[in-house]
Amino acid sequence: MRNVAVLGVGMHRFGTWPDRSNGDMSLEAGQAALRDAGLSFRDVQAAFVGHIFAPVMSGVRVMKEFGLTGIPIQRIENASATGSAAFREACWAVESGRYDCVMVLGFDKMTAMIQESSANTDPANLEDAILPAAFFALWATRRIHERGMKPEHLAKIAAKNWNNGALNPMSQRRPGERVTWEKVLGSSMVAWPLTKMMSCPIGDGAACAVVGRPELARKKNPGRPVVRVTASHLGSEIYAPGHLFVGPVVGPARMTVDGAKSVYEQAGVGPKDLDLVQVHDAFAIEELEYYELLGLCAPGEAEAAIDRGDFELGGRVAVSTDGGLIARGHPGGPTGLAQIWETTLQLRGEAGKRQRENARVGLCHMMGGGSVCVIHILQRD
Amino acid sequence: MTAPRRRIPVKPGYFTVPDDPATPPKLLGSRCDVCGEHYFPRRKTCARAECLSDRTTDVEMGPRGTLWSYTFVHFPLFGSSRLEHIGYGVGQVDLPEGPRVQLPLAGKQEDFHVGMELEAELDALREDGDTAVVMCRFRPVGAAR
Repeated sequence: MRNVAVLGVGMHRFGTWPDRSNGDMSLEAGQAALRDAGLSFRDVQAAFVGHIFAPVMSGVRVMKEFGLTGIPIQRIENASATGSAAFREACWAVESGRYDCVMVLGFDKMTAMIQESSANTDPANLEDAILPAAFFALWATRRIHERGMKPEHLAKIAAKNWNNGALNPMSQRRPGERVTWEKVLGSSMVAWPLTKMMSCPIGDGAACAVVGRPELARKKNPGRPVVRVTASHLGSEIYAPGHLFVGPVVGPARMTVDGAKSVYEQAGVGPKDLDLVQVHDAFAIEELEYYELLGLCAPGEAEAAIDRGDFELGGRVAVSTDGGLIARGHPGGPTGLAQIWETTLQLRGEAGKRQRENARVGLCHMMGGGSVCVIHILQRD
Repeated sequence: MTAPRRRIPVKPGYFTVPDDPATPPKLLGSRCDVCGEHYFPRRKTCARAECLSDRTTDVEMGPRGTLWSYTFVHFPLFGSSRLEHIGYGVGQVDLPEGPRVQLPLAGKQEDFHVGMELEAELDALREDGDTAVVMCRFRPVGAAR
């Protein structure tokens, strides 16, 4: 990908917002992104909208908040990777030459969805009876068995993310005092060895990115660093023995390995070139596994790297700098775009107290339903 | 309380419900007629990229398997009205035919360890008159019922 820049980003803070509609949150996030880009909605030539839970056509309805200008509007859905997948389609729409300026919007109210589904008493599938956290806990138990991981390693990851979230005004969880790994480990047990504080919250929110030609970025914001999208990957599962077909699944590890190989080749960078990384850390065990699968450390070395603080804001490569899914939150549709928001601000040097020094290359990774993997690399020119 | 006479699966098409309560259930899967790969649940095509045949045969798998990984969940089992299910084990179990399945486990966390042998059983989620709605779960071999 050679000709796509992130022109602007905006968010509505993730959290529990019973009095705000998807339209309210989206308008706030979208107008912030347009202001950041120095553009108006008149300049937007197409929109890709991502939501998981809202009814059919919600994307088109929400876009009416900005005005009715006749542009093509397309809804994208890919579970947790919804916002990331919508971002990918927008980037390709620009790269292919179809448009100069495209809006990507993600929104969801997961709190409303949970209320509706809990009214339904019978599991729709054999494994719907089981709490989703259990499937990630199974991954953690296996890691304990194979690599001698301790629950405190998961607690250290989660504590890092909670503390990063404290520095992010858009984070759902913003603890008032420093969170220790002991506190994370001592929080209530969800599915052994995962505790409540090692798990992402449910929430509501919206996030938006405006992507377009790099010339537009230079013209509208002269002097500001241009953030370009240099690689994009979307992959699904490849069958291997032991594959799980039923229930919420973690997905084959190979999906992230293959995706990482692809984006590193596309961008001409390697894992050692990364300054910051966002991952699908719905549960702390995921972030630990993705360190290795993305090549941030060698297989089997994640525990030692965590103990050294390699992935802290000031560490070798900063991971989940905005708090990740665990602290910043995970409403669904907007989650992947929150990663783009964070990475763009970091690469411009505008991330405030959580700024990674001299950040030049960032990677954003999302999984959708354990069945698709989306990865992007963003680079400062 | 007398045992319900009739047992129905919470979802049809995944496991057998034997007439004799002492007989363990089997899991309903498919075998590829071309390459022999086994799948759970049933499917009409082979998923292997190298094969992709559209000829499969229904098979019954288990009831024994080996524990690949486990957890213990500290929330009620969705759809169950039984006190026992306020916390429950979950395992990934490798069947001798090949597939790995994720299902609830009978027992407490300390009863489970990676590599142990398990056997499938039917467990009532709830009872309605003479009918029990049952799911399939695994229990460590040799553990008391």
